[in-house]
Amino acid sequence: MKVINLFTSSILVTLFMLTLPIMMTNTSMYISKLYPRYVKTTISYAFMISLIPTMMFLHLGQDTMISNWHWITIQTMKLSLSFKFDYFSMIFVPVALFVTWSIMEFSIWYMHSDPYINRFFKYLLLFLITMMILVTANNMFQLFIGWEGVGIMSFLLIGWWYGRTDANTAALQAILYNRIGDVGFIMAMAWFLTNLNTWDLQQIFMTNHENLNIPLIGLLLAATGKSAQFGLHPWLPSAMEGPTPVSALLHSSTMVVAGVFLLIRFHPLMEHNKTLQTITLCLGAITTLFTAICALTQNDIKKIVAFSTSSQLGLMIVTIGINQPYLAFLHICTHAFFKAMLFMCSGSIIHSLNDEQDIRKMGGLFKALPFTTTSLIVGSLALTGMPFLTGFYSKDLIIETANTSYTNAWALLMTLVATSMTAAYSTRIMFFALLGQPRFSPIITINENDPHLINSIKRLLFGSIFAGFLISYNITPTTTPQMTMPHYLKMMALIVTILGFILALELNLMMQSLKFKYPSGLFKFSNMLGYFPTIIHRLMPKTNLLMGQKSASTLLDMTWMEKILPKSISHFQMKSSIAVSNQKGLIKLYFMSFMLTLTLSLLTLSFHG
Amino acid sequence: MSMVYINIFLAFILSFMGLLIYRSHLMSSLLCLEGMMLSLFVMMAVTILTNHLTLASMTPIILLVFAACEAALGLSLLVMISNTYGTDYVQNLNLLQC
Repeated sequence: MKVINLFTSSILVTLFMLTLPIMMTNTSMYISKLYPRYVKTTISYAFMISLIPTMMFLHLGQDTMISNWHWITIQTMKLSLSFKFDYFSMIFVPVALFVTWSIMEFSIWYMHSDPYINRFFKYLLLFLITMMILVTANNMFQLFIGWEGVGIMSFLLIGWWYGRTDANTAALQAILYNRIGDVGFIMAMAWFLTNLNTWDLQQIFMTNHENLNIPLIGLLLAATGKSAQFGLHPWLPSAMEGPTPVSALLHSSTMVVAGVFLLIRFHPLMEHNKTLQTITLCLGAITTLFTAICALTQNDIKKIVAFSTSSQLGLMIVTIGINQPYLAFLHICTHAFFKAMLFMCSGSIIHSLNDEQDIRKMGGLFKALPFTTTSLIVGSLALTGMPFLTGFYSKDLIIETANTSYTNAWALLMTLVATSMTAAYSTRIMFFALLGQPRFSPIITINENDPHLINSIKRLLFGSIFAGFLISYNITPTTTPQMTMPHYLKMMALIVTILGFILALELNLMMQSLKFKYPSGLFKFSNMLGYFPTIIHRLMPKTNLLMGQKSASTLLDMTWMEKILPKSISHFQMKSSIAVSNQKGLIKLYFMSFMLTLTLSLLTLSFHG
Repeated sequence: MSMVYINIFLAFILSFMGLLIYRSHLMSSLLCLEGMMLSLFVMMAVTILTNHLTLASMTPIILLVFAACEAALGLSLLVMISNTYGTDYVQNLNLLQC
């Protein structure tokens, strides 16, 4: 039984350790130059300590729940501070800490010339803490605290360079789209409060309700907002205005998976609801295809990787739609490794080329940045599901399961097309950024010789290659994967990926020496993100404002209250009085004649008999 | 007719003459208008009280109300003229330019 105590102690130590650098804000440590290194070391120690409870969990297979502090009891509902350490949180915590450790070390190199680097690290750490609160929450209130926390930190970090208008707009956009999702979350919370009288996950999963459509739609809306599914997706590519470490941490591995994580947490409710599963499946399929189409013609390297993230998120939602939450979770964990590494390699390229983000102005970096090139290629291969790299263990399983399950054929087709497009845009990145002759300016600022950069990418490189294997073979088996299927179904993912690679390579090589004519309609559709931001961000507010101006201001105020009676009466009177009167204004004469007439008439008529 | 009535009637006639014959300021005719209203009020009140016409006791008040309205109207006309010309001389209102 001592084993159990060590579990709770060590996990609480891990979580508490993360808050220590925040508590040092008012001391001299925060102002010194060692603060970033201090934060990085804290997170690496937290990672190593968190491995203890994870391995204990994998050995024993026992969920733990800690309920510390009773906060409030509102009539019949009790809210307390409670942590849930089950399969999902225990595997996610070390993965997230490992990735964050590497990103912190990368940030030391990337942001070293920033005067507010200490504040940057504090914000990143605050984000990590709120993400930990989110994944370890046992009741919906605590989850909501973490949910809002990651939203706020995302706002602060996207708008890090707040002097830039685009960054402010992007941060505001992120908040607005997340808010729309939060409405769904609150709807689910309200339903649980009124119908099940609780916000605790244990009690929610225990009660048997027939019609759970309303809270599940609310949760799906929340996931749509946070994980940038179709309809609430434009904030994710705009969020690339933030620094690259922010993109690597928030908008690839950690924050955007919060929506998927929420759906995974509530999977016992979704198991028996076929309607919601179909809706989830179709939403995920639309997202993954749409964002993959948009990624094909982008010219900014970070935007391509952002759309790649969005596409993989759509794939995770598809996995939830076919009722495989554990596979979706596995994909979350493996995706974190190679996506963070892809962002870090992009950051290395960007800094080396003196802040150049356009892939049309890169090229020929194959020999100049060998380590970055290697990790970029490995990351892209892992992303597309190259056999036995990390992505293979989750992505291939997902495609296989989708192929052999009784599901929506259209959604399946969309997912397969999106998979081949993944290969296509990965080829595009590699072709434009790495191969060929250099297209950047000849002043050489290329340098990847910094140990912080190399070590951080090296760690994630090992993760991208081995983590899939390590995680898959050490976790407790949950759902049984489909073992037998026809060979064409088994090879389906590989075939479409290779097809995507070959097509993209051929097209890129063929088009290299051709002149760029006017873009076709399809190109414009893809490049302008399907015209979605243009329409939604401009047309709808303009319609609302125009309607408001016309009905309230013009119609009511100006016309009905001013013009109809008061102004029209005065106008009419003045015009008619000018038209009718023909006097000359000789007032004294008129008065005199009046008096004279009166007197004369009095005198004359008084002598009447 | 008793002395009171002749007195008040004479006051009314005097104000009336003042209204019709004045030199330059429009304000003086407005003042005489007020004098007319005052004398009418007194005559009406004395008549009603002397002859105990109880049901007509309201009429002096009503007369006052209408007098106030008309005074306001007269003053607004004065203000309009004063806005245009700066003074209220009656010569200004002469549209003939000779």
